[in-house]
Amino acid sequence: MSTVATSEPLVELRDIRKAFGGIHAVDGVSVNLYCGEVVAVLGHNGAGKSTLMKILAGAYPIDSGETHVAGQHVQIRTPADAQSLGIETIYQTLALADNLDSVANLFLGREKLTPWRTLDDHFMEGQARKVFRRLNKNFTNIRVPVRRLSGGQRQIVAISRALYFNARILIMDEPMAALGPEEARMVGDLIRQLKADGVGIFLITHDMPDVFNLSDRLAVMKNGKLVGTYRTADVTEDEVLGMIIAGKRPEGRVEVLQLQKPDFGSGSSV
Amino acid sequence: MNAAGPPRNSTGVPENATRPLQAGPDLPVAEHSRPSAIHVSHFVHALRRAGLDLRLLLMVVLLVGMGVAFHVLSGGVFLSPENLYNIAQQTAVVGIVATVMVLVIVARHIDLSVGSVMGFVGVLIAFLMYTSGWPWFAACLAGLLVAILVSMYQGTLTSLLGVPSFVVTLGGLMSFRGAAFLVADGKTQPVNDEFFQRLGGGYDGSIGVAGTWTLTALVIAGLFVRMAQRRRSRSRHDMQNEPLWIDVAVTALPCVVLLAFAWAMNSYQITSKTEPQGIPIPVLIWASVAAVLSFLVHRTRFGRYVFAMGGNPDAAELVGIPVKRVTLQLFVLLAVLVTIAAIVSIARLNAGTNSLGTGMELYVIAAAVIGGTALAGGTGSILGSALGALIMQSLDSGMLLLDVSIGKRMVIIGQVLIVAVVFDVLYRRRFGER
Repeated sequence: MSTVATSEPLVELRDIRKAFGGIHAVDGVSVNLYCGEVVAVLGHNGAGKSTLMKILAGAYPIDSGETHVAGQHVQIRTPADAQSLGIETIYQTLALADNLDSVANLFLGREKLTPWRTLDDHFMEGQARKVFRRLNKNFTNIRVPVRRLSGGQRQIVAISRALYFNARILIMDEPMAALGPEEARMVGDLIRQLKADGVGIFLITHDMPDVFNLSDRLAVMKNGKLVGTYRTADVTEDEVLGMIIAGKRPEGRVEVLQLQKPDFGSGSSV
Repeated sequence: MNAAGPPRNSTGVPENATRPLQAGPDLPVAEHSRPSAIHVSHFVHALRRAGLDLRLLLMVVLLVGMGVAFHVLSGGVFLSPENLYNIAQQTAVVGIVATVMVLVIVARHIDLSVGSVMGFVGVLIAFLMYTSGWPWFAACLAGLLVAILVSMYQGTLTSLLGVPSFVVTLGGLMSFRGAAFLVADGKTQPVNDEFFQRLGGGYDGSIGVAGTWTLTALVIAGLFVRMAQRRRSRSRHDMQNEPLWIDVAVTALPCVVLLAFAWAMNSYQITSKTEPQGIPIPVLIWASVAAVLSFLVHRTRFGRYVFAMGGNPDAAELVGIPVKRVTLQLFVLLAVLVTIAAIVSIARLNAGTNSLGTGMELYVIAAAVIGGTALAGGTGSILGSALGALIMQSLDSGMLLLDVSIGKRMVIIGQVLIVAVVFDVLYRRRFGER
């Protein structure tokens, strides 16, 4: 953990609120993320974790609160805004257009154009081959509609988006859910590699082994509120489950809002 | 028709056609040199990439079969140059609008008001020329402007407010038919401008023998130049090229069809004229429209986004596609093509009447659906819509030749549409597509 050098958070979400109708999906949540860090975002279905991440990804506008990226106060209103800040998202649904092929999906919304403003298909296909090969050498049928691909291959297409466009901040919503063991390990390796490259990762998952293998810190949400943020190494699985299920903060553990100073700041934002 | 149809990308066609052949495209490079069986599957694969999949091939077979059957039943009239000439130019108006209807349906919308808007704009243009004495191009421009306003209105309701386009355009179907009546108080507006009339085909509305052969030669040359460019570009990007003979064969196929068509059009001579007709101008307009739309579909962001929105609207939003803007652009494109269709239509009838285009929405949507456009969105092709329109028109005029009464014709054409949709459903189920 001590490898993290920067003191300034890559992402800082302050007192974020978002309601749908009368439901407070996200209710005053503050969370931050540092370079080269994996923060697991945990909670029941409907706890608000996906909504919080979609806010950062630009899919939902916030009702109130502040977003800071690399120290800058920013307004993220659209997915394009998020992308231009280096925020890439791998959605649980993968957000693939099933009728298009892998190449088209990789570049969807960010097509490479020729000087005549037409699609530069050959360039995109060449690039796509490279990035797919990096993730899976056997993935060659890249010109068929993605609906005909396996779950793992579809996942590769979705992950490749983040990889190809050099994410600085990566949001992964249950990236292993559709994967077999082999592919899940590959994604795990990838997460470690991106981390080493200094990418900050929010990892939404339900899988406890993933949490303890991959994350540096974990943030638990319940009913739209943040239960607490802890260093993964400081808590046990039972304590994490207690937070998720009962919203009970573990006794005697210090909340860790900042990675390199474990003693800093308890009594946080809830 | 597929002049601009670029082969390699998959967006344009319902491409699940040949699941059994799936191994073809996916073979590792080393296998490319294996003979015969592999070559055949390569050829089929290349055809598919060129936009001609099993489904379209079946439609071509159906069209040819229908032609032969009507030819025999009508005692050798159906496939005569004269009849082919008439069918071609009669299909043009529906065909022009069907090309863009494909995109509208692909994007999970519908436009039921095309017939009414075409009537409204057609009467308006005729009115401005006849009653107000405007020159034809000024009248057409004004018509285009009005069509765009109408489309912006319907498109804004659909894309910004999220009102289903079915409802918006159902209202439009009624309102703009009424507007067509109001323009000239229901009076027929004759069109007398000789140049303008040629846009509709007919007696002087074709490009003659020399023009036909010149154009055919140019298009064929263009197709082969494009093939060469594509091969060069692929090797520049270190990508595997198909064997040359496959590319040549795939390119030659539309050329043969084109040559046959040009020959047929050049064989039709009106008795009072000294020279055969050649390709009618409405068909040229239709072909150009289809080429431009194919280009939009395969080579531009706009086309890619339309298909992405149809394939997965949520994903389209999440990856940052400006869905609302693209929807509006789509409606404006529709307005442009409806105006072109209106111009061809009044030029052909030499008049604008308030009933112009009545019921056309059904023919247009049917052409798109018969041509393989899925009403659920996400799949469809411009080439398919052309074939669909030709099938509808051939059926109609074939039965007309055989003296089938109007009632029976309507019954049959309606059921053919249902057969097409049933086929579509079974086909998708068979090949595991949604």
